[in-house]
Amino acid sequence: MKKLISKILFQTNLIILISLILISCSKPPTNEIQITIWHQMRVDEREILQRQLDRFMKLHPRIKVNQIYKETEELRSGFIIAAIGGQGPEIIYGPQDQVGPFEIMNIILPLDTIFSQEFLNQFNEKGLIWSNNHLWMIADKLGNHLALVYNKKLIKNPPKTDKELIEIGKQLTKDFNNDGKPDQYGLVWNYTEPFFFIPFLTGFGGWVFDEKNNPTLNTEAMIKGLKFIADLRDKHKIIPGEADYDIADVLFKEGKAGMIINGDWSWASYGKAGIDYGIAPLPLIEETGLYAAPMISGKGYSINANIDPEKLPAVKLLLEFLLSPENQLETAKELNTFPTHKSVYDDPFIKENEILINSQRQIELGKPMPIISEMRAVWDAMRPYYQAVLGGAMNPEIAAQKMQDEAVKKIQEMTEDVTSIYAELIFIIAFVVGIILVLILSRRTILSFVKEFSKNSFAYYLVLPAFVVMILVIIYPFIYNIVLSFSNMNLRHINDWSIIGLNQYIKVFSEPVFYTVFLKTIIWTFVNVFFHVTIGVCLALLLNRKIPGKIVFRTLLILPWAIPQYIVALTWRGMFNYEYGAINLILTKYLSLPPVEWLKSPLEAFIAVIITNVWLGFPFMMVIALGALQSIPNELYEAADIEGAKWFHKLWKITIPLIKPVMIPAITLGIIWTFNNLNVVWLVSNAGEPSDQTHILVSYVYKAAFNLYRYGYAAAFSMVIFFILLVMSLSFLKRTRATESVY
Amino acid sequence: MRESKLVNWIIFVFLLFFTLATIYPVINVFTVSLRPGDKLLSTSLEIIPEGATFQSYIKLFTETDFLRWLFNSTFISFVVTLTGVSLASTAGYALSRFKFIGKKSAMLGLMVTQMFPATMLLLPMYIMLMKLGLLNSYIGIVIVYSSTALPFCVWQMKGYYDTIPFSLEEAARIDGCTRWQAFYKIILPLASPALVITALFSFMSAWSEYIVAAQILQDRNLYTLPIGLKSFQSNLTTEWGLYAAASLIVSIPVVILFIILSRYLVSGLTLGSVKE
Repeated sequence: MKKLISKILFQTNLIILISLILISCSKPPTNEIQITIWHQMRVDEREILQRQLDRFMKLHPRIKVNQIYKETEELRSGFIIAAIGGQGPEIIYGPQDQVGPFEIMNIILPLDTIFSQEFLNQFNEKGLIWSNNHLWMIADKLGNHLALVYNKKLIKNPPKTDKELIEIGKQLTKDFNNDGKPDQYGLVWNYTEPFFFIPFLTGFGGWVFDEKNNPTLNTEAMIKGLKFIADLRDKHKIIPGEADYDIADVLFKEGKAGMIINGDWSWASYGKAGIDYGIAPLPLIEETGLYAAPMISGKGYSINANIDPEKLPAVKLLLEFLLSPENQLETAKELNTFPTHKSVYDDPFIKENEILINSQRQIELGKPMPIISEMRAVWDAMRPYYQAVLGGAMNPEIAAQKMQDEAVKKIQEMTEDVTSIYAELIFIIAFVVGIILVLILSRRTILSFVKEFSKNSFAYYLVLPAFVVMILVIIYPFIYNIVLSFSNMNLRHINDWSIIGLNQYIKVFSEPVFYTVFLKTIIWTFVNVFFHVTIGVCLALLLNRKIPGKIVFRTLLILPWAIPQYIVALTWRGMFNYEYGAINLILTKYLSLPPVEWLKSPLEAFIAVIITNVWLGFPFMMVIALGALQSIPNELYEAADIEGAKWFHKLWKITIPLIKPVMIPAITLGIIWTFNNLNVVWLVSNAGEPSDQTHILVSYVYKAAFNLYRYGYAAAFSMVIFFILLVMSLSFLKRTRATESVY
Repeated sequence: MRESKLVNWIIFVFLLFFTLATIYPVINVFTVSLRPGDKLLSTSLEIIPEGATFQSYIKLFTETDFLRWLFNSTFISFVVTLTGVSLASTAGYALSRFKFIGKKSAMLGLMVTQMFPATMLLLPMYIMLMKLGLLNSYIGIVIVYSSTALPFCVWQMKGYYDTIPFSLEEAARIDGCTRWQAFYKIILPLASPALVITALFSFMSAWSEYIVAAQILQDRNLYTLPIGLKSFQSNLTTEWGLYAAASLIVSIPVVILFIILSRYLVSGLTLGSVKE
């Protein structure tokens, strides 16, 4: 052991260096043209793309195309980050609404300067995304639209009107085993998400923006649409009491729902799950005589503004190839997507395929999704109040009013344009003065540090490597963030941002939500850490005894730590489902308690998130406590036994004080990590549901600032989080005196 | 003696129930991995789903780059672990044993680095690595990972060294050891439980990190497990079978590492022989 460790210590750095050099040496040859595409395609789309790229590379051996998948949100934020750095892929593929922010930020090229009018005339107009007199994206697929999917085994003729929908729904909603809960529903869909609500807004004659792009959410149509959905659930009882995307999907796949409202991306998976399904346009709303119209959106290619001009011809060649009728037809045939190249429309396959025919009808009835970046603010404004109506916490009239106010406020925040002439100068002066002051005040320490260095060099040499690595990585991002927090960097000032002073900080503190979310974060942090540590230490104490099979227990108990968080967090979300989740089934069947609406009411949802996070976090504390227990000499316990001490005396007087030095750092850092734990909250509560009531500070800043491209504000908010944590951990450490030595 | 046996059995039963409850969600993941038709949820609670199949596991190894991601992640995680353990064990020792100027601020400085929300650091980190030419390389990612793992590791090592009496080194010095020898021959072996924790932690922080990796690694040959897994998932349609199967397999190396290391974690050299 000793030899091993010393060897490792001496050789590690050498090994690291050599191996890293070896890896970085393998660079590609330079006579090739490398093109990278970032996209957000599904797996089946990706496979077709790769096939088409392979054909292209065979035709043009000098061009190498590399396709990289990113999830929609990440595609957007990742591309923005890379583009700010002057990098990024040559081509980016995604839904048309990403054009909005990219265009304002000037990070994509206008395509009308690259492609000829003749070439562009070949495409369906809906597939050419123009804005401010320039073309920014050419789509190869149209749609991304919702439609009514029905199970042919249960439904012969799909409903044409809302009355028929309710009637058929009532016939199909059945309680087979008479337990008072339906076992089959007429209709399901992800009705918690505003995108899935749009058809009912349009069906009653509403829309999200007027001609001048001002939000129009406080309308009669909105109120009627909201009432309609609430009625489907509470009055007609043809939809489940709680349905998010996954639950709706599963009910339909298991044949337990007659109809589902879902987008073209999902249809093929129903066939794969063995459901004989048909597609029908969403019904006509009889009251208005309008069809429930979904949003439709093209998906297509844009070109990075940072592209190397020498690569442009190759990129053009590639896009012409990918957008060609042959390739579009191939994709359409395999995925039932609707192409944009007009010459394909006469193909017998497009004309005769039942699904495509109905899909096309729905597309014609649909309304194009606005590409302006304000759309995102509208979604964020609608979601909480929409969910509040469905949760029974708000009536539709008030909700519509609040949605409108919130949308106006968010759009104003998002597009605000603050500049200041003097702020930059003041900032620089303050910065320089600050540094000089620090130097003057700490001159004694610095002098004695230099003196001490030679005296205590052994200690410094031991500490130095770790700190060099830390400083390398942290200092630059840290200072960058401080500067940003005084700036106006946002959607409109992405590359030309300037210092505007304390503006962003004032905004953080003047937001009333900040204080409630802050309080929730404190509760969240302490409840979590308390249970992590208590459960962890208790288990470690138990496992430190002579228990049969303790190795097995120990190993199984670290599983929550070992398994990737994403899937278990979502599994937990499933377990909290009102009707089908394991937790409610245990509560009702074995404990005869009433079921709990875990994900629908704010308090329960918050508890659900905490339970999940406690489960994820206790194994880590257990491992540390196990290690800490080994530092306690047995003699102490033996001596205590001789004096006849009871177990809790031993625990209180020996165990706890002696594991303290090891536990304190873990607890302090546990507090910090829990405070900033974005993932679990995000996944289990589905980004703050219900109604943005389950946020902690980091998830709030992510949603309210980062997502709306308010980078300056987000940076200021992070600085505030940073100072809160600094104060908290300093006072905690002071109490426990962890920076000092024990002996 | 009999009483203690009884107590142990009560504890055993308690642990049994607790463990079963704990691994229930993991079993759920296993169920998803066997379920055909890519369904994350189900309306039934069966552990072995209807039409159970190992297809996802076969597909994982034959049709995806899983083995490459596994290799990449293992490599990166081991390098980060070695860096973390070697740097933290030395730095922690100095912070525990010596009084020197800047010690307190150094320790606080380490902790301060953890206080910033990670999403906010992504942009400047990207720009920095770009300027250093470390995008798309393992050097960049290893440096970032080491620096995120180090603060905890150093604090943890320091805390553990604090529990080891000074008298041990004094004795060693009297016996003719140098300072360095006293450290690595006497103290370091005694701190093996802490080394294990440090190693596990460094390993895990590299093994499961996603956000930074996804922004920095843009070459599919360099992908780590978390990025690879993410590619089974797309907006609203996820290949849950594959994802679940991969998640379970991803946790196996961690469990194996834990089993190997836990020998030192729980029955390492204890301080029992130290007589003050």
